[in-house]
Amino acid sequence: MTSLSDILTDLVSDVDAVFLFSPNGSFYERFTGVADVAVIGAENTVDADTFVELPIPFSDIQDRIKFGIEGAMDDGLVGEGDVVACIGSLFSDDADFAGRVRVDETMRSGIYDLFTNSRADPAVISDVFEVALELGRKGQKGKPVGALFVVGDAGKVMNKSRPLSYNPFEKSHVHVGDPIVNVMLKEFSRLDGAFVISDSGKIVSAYRYLEPSAEGVDIPKGLGARHMAGGAITRDTNATSIVLSESDGLVRAFKGGKLILELDPEEY
Amino acid sequence: MFGSLQFAVDGFIRGVSVRVWLALFILAVGVLVAYGVMGITSRLLDRVGVVETIEGTTFERTTNEFGTSTTRILTQLSGVFTILVSVFVAITVADLRFADLFWGGIAVFLPQLFIAVVILVAGVVIADKVELLVSERLRGIKLPEIGLIPLLAKYSVLFVAILIALSQIGVAVLALIVLLAAYALAVIVFTALATHDLLASGAAGVYLLLNQPYSIGDEVKVGGQQGIVQEVDLLVTRIETNGEEHIIPNRTVLKDGIVRIQGH
Repeated sequence: MTSLSDILTDLVSDVDAVFLFSPNGSFYERFTGVADVAVIGAENTVDADTFVELPIPFSDIQDRIKFGIEGAMDDGLVGEGDVVACIGSLFSDDADFAGRVRVDETMRSGIYDLFTNSRADPAVISDVFEVALELGRKGQKGKPVGALFVVGDAGKVMNKSRPLSYNPFEKSHVHVGDPIVNVMLKEFSRLDGAFVISDSGKIVSAYRYLEPSAEGVDIPKGLGARHMAGGAITRDTNATSIVLSESDGLVRAFKGGKLILELDPEEY
Repeated sequence: MFGSLQFAVDGFIRGVSVRVWLALFILAVGVLVAYGVMGITSRLLDRVGVVETIEGTTFERTTNEFGTSTTRILTQLSGVFTILVSVFVAITVADLRFADLFWGGIAVFLPQLFIAVVILVAGVVIADKVELLVSERLRGIKLPEIGLIPLLAKYSVLFVAILIALSQIGVAVLALIVLLAAYALAVIVFTALATHDLLASGAAGVYLLLNQPYSIGDEVKVGGQQGIVQEVDLLVTRIETNGEEHIIPNRTVLKDGIVRIQGH
């Protein structure tokens, strides 16, 4: 005879760590005394000792858990074969689900690495993601647009590219994350070429024609010239590329010449 | 027998001059006015938002421990002051000559004392509030010594408040003012000495950011270091060559000059 709470006990028994996804203060308080509790969320609102930051609010719970575990693996909180109990909120703001996950090296997709180990600031990368997602959701006057952002290692990227037109950002001090930027980038995305963004988030240039050598770039077949250019520049430099596809509307991130992350703007 | 008593009371009433009756009347009015002033003061403090502003300061907490609050102290102070003023007016009206000298001194001194006390209370409350605000600002910085700065700010404000209060009641404060000036001068001199390099770099950085003689992606040579500019901010310029990143303070850039390498 098993009751519901027995099943729940099975879920959380003998775990090596407990991950709380964006808990509120009073809920977190209830975990004082439980060993190996880690908080995963956009902000450390509960002053937890161990905290893994989520740079974008993954709507898919599987992505969210995978990202959290990847971050915890990188921080050395958990290792291969550990069992983790995940508690978070799926439908409401309160904690409403519990899960049991076995940590596996194949979970390491490089998404966490994309944010924390890039040349550019993690905040800058997530800002650019936000701009790209917003652009993908709304488009330019209802029509889908494409855009290519090259973030970080701006000096080298500038030397591996040439201008297509006058640079509208010359002698300006516009940073991604500034409130006006969304509108500006939307307008400039009408013209072809890449946006180059420095490590600290300064928009260095628009209308850049990237000239990397495309040898040995490993990106899925079927993607166009924009993705090829965006992927290839990350192999030649230490930059990260964030590409909004005009044809399928997805946002993709490249690093080291590889496709790391694929997001659908409609889901965010 | 009753007649004689009647006469005595009559004589007493007649003996007391009209001035004294007037004085008693003024005293009674003074008490009423004091009551009104207390009400107005407490409502005014509430309306201006003093109550919320001073919430959580140590002074407020201490007064709460004694079963009162800062606003109540201020209210009572204003009431007592009003009563004292009415007493003074009453005595003047009653024309009690023997007390003239004494009350004359008091009349000048009382308002000053009142203002001094109010300044002191306000100073303590503001000092507490400054300490709270500064420590809240610095909370992100995890350094044990950082606790000193809010305390320093608190006592600076308190010192100034005491100085003003003392000068209000006519105590010689020249020595204390000299002390304050020396303290302020020391703070300014030491800050200028300590941040001399940062200030110079910052000033150079403003020029570099406004005029942009070189920008990200240019190949430049600064102070013997050649490389590609990766970032220019207010204080430093970052230049990179084959895996080496040189972080050069902007004052060096302006002092040694920049070589831009053309044609690549």
